Amino acid sequence: MQNSEGKMTYKEYLLVLKECSPYDFCEYSDNSIDRRIQKIMRDYHLTMDELIHKTRNDEAFVELVVEAITVNTTELFRDPPVWKFIRENVLPAFKNRPKINIWHAGCSTGQEVYSMMILLHEAGIFDKAEIYASDISKKALENAKKGAYKYSFNHNKYQENLNAAFADSVVPKITDFFEISKESDQLIIKPFLKTKTKFVRHDLVKQELPFYSKFDIIFCRNVLIYFNGGLQSRIVQCFHDNLFPGGVMVLGTHETLNGFFKTKFAKKGPVYSRTNTFHFKY
Amino acid sequence: MHNPEHSYKIIVMGGSAGSFSVVSGILSKLDPNFKIPIILSLHRLKHVRSGLSEGLSLNSKIKVVEPNDKEKIEPNRVYLAPSNYHMFIEIDGSIALSTEESHNHSRPSIDYTLMSAAYVYREKALGILLTGANKDGAKGLKSIADNRGYTIVQDPVTCDIDTMPKSALQLFCPDEILSPSEIVQFLNSLQP
Repeated sequence: MQNSEGKMTYKEYLLVLKECSPYDFCEYSDNSIDRRIQKIMRDYHLTMDELIHKTRNDEAFVELVVEAITVNTTELFRDPPVWKFIRENVLPAFKNRPKINIWHAGCSTGQEVYSMMILLHEAGIFDKAEIYASDISKKALENAKKGAYKYSFNHNKYQENLNAAFADSVVPKITDFFEISKESDQLIIKPFLKTKTKFVRHDLVKQELPFYSKFDIIFCRNVLIYFNGGLQSRIVQCFHDNLFPGGVMVLGTHETLNGFFKTKFAKKGPVYSRTNTFHFKY
Repeated sequence: MHNPEHSYKIIVMGGSAGSFSVVSGILSKLDPNFKIPIILSLHRLKHVRSGLSEGLSLNSKIKVVEPNDKEKIEPNRVYLAPSNYHMFIEIDGSIALSTEESHNHSRPSIDYTLMSAAYVYREKALGILLTGANKDGAKGLKSIADNRGYTIVQDPVTCDIDTMPKSALQLFCPDEILSPSEIVQFLNSLQP
């Protein structure tokens, strides 16, 4: 397992990680994984040999590696036009339906989970929503559950995003949903939004899902960009299988579907809607 | 020095404060058939997130796009890093995007784009660092030089804010220090 210079490559390190932990990053895209592992070696002052040794012998360190590899930073109402579209074109249909099931796949630190809850609340359908949010990183999930975000620098941007998401409508205030704690320099989600979502630890690479229900909306924003084409396709297929017909999949603004899925989803504005096209298995 | 027989496969331009007008000027004066793909990693003002590609398209002789993840890089096209994403070049000649943490308080980070170009294209990469108020980009441009690619720094005298080019000049000696109009001349001279 050595290259011509006698050194382990990043790809080979991933095999070590796969062998001695539940995590499999082998199908992450080369570019991102190389960079993340280089960063880990720099941040912890480790050679490749030391990194491998620590990975084999220190479970707590493995969790740090997972967090470092999967970092995906986001913000409340990132890309406001997407949220505006959901508010105006997706949510109204649920006014007369008994339920709305939502899954945030790869929710990271939860900003988009709370953004969506704010939309649901303002649309008056918050109570009939069933919301799941999953991520591979324990630490990111813990942060997501807390719903506490840095106040300074962010507050104005968040309010601006919110204004843009609610343009042509009554614009709520960030402070309707978050308490401001000046001492801890944080925006903290108010209790009525905090207890609604079920946060579950889940690795998208693993196929079995931690819930039985199907979904009306699946969010997976800026997660697939870290995966290679094969893994991307498997995950999009999984979303397809777990969406109700007509259900909506929301990807990052610069993520697209490959050719095969173009018949299975119809692009509507910035989101993808599951089509009813009949597909033979063989 | 520049060897006319040396053909570049990619051009990466980075800049921040003041770079919009410089880039816009360069794109407006390029040969419309300019073949080599141009990758732009430009910092955006915090509150002006969108409209940059539209702005650049207005006068550009070459099509400007904000690429999607895994999009193939084509000739005769300008690729602008989308707002709030890092942009990389992959080994197969496609674009990769990422939302990992900011680098030098910047996303996109110019260092990241330049380093990935250096890694993939080596001596076939041409890096250009323009006016800017941040040291992001200096290390990336040096990595192009370290891989025997060609490096150009905008002459600090012609810069709105010269922090970016000066940081590069402190780090290493680029192949050329040029004014924006000389950069245009240089680029057009690469066309066969």
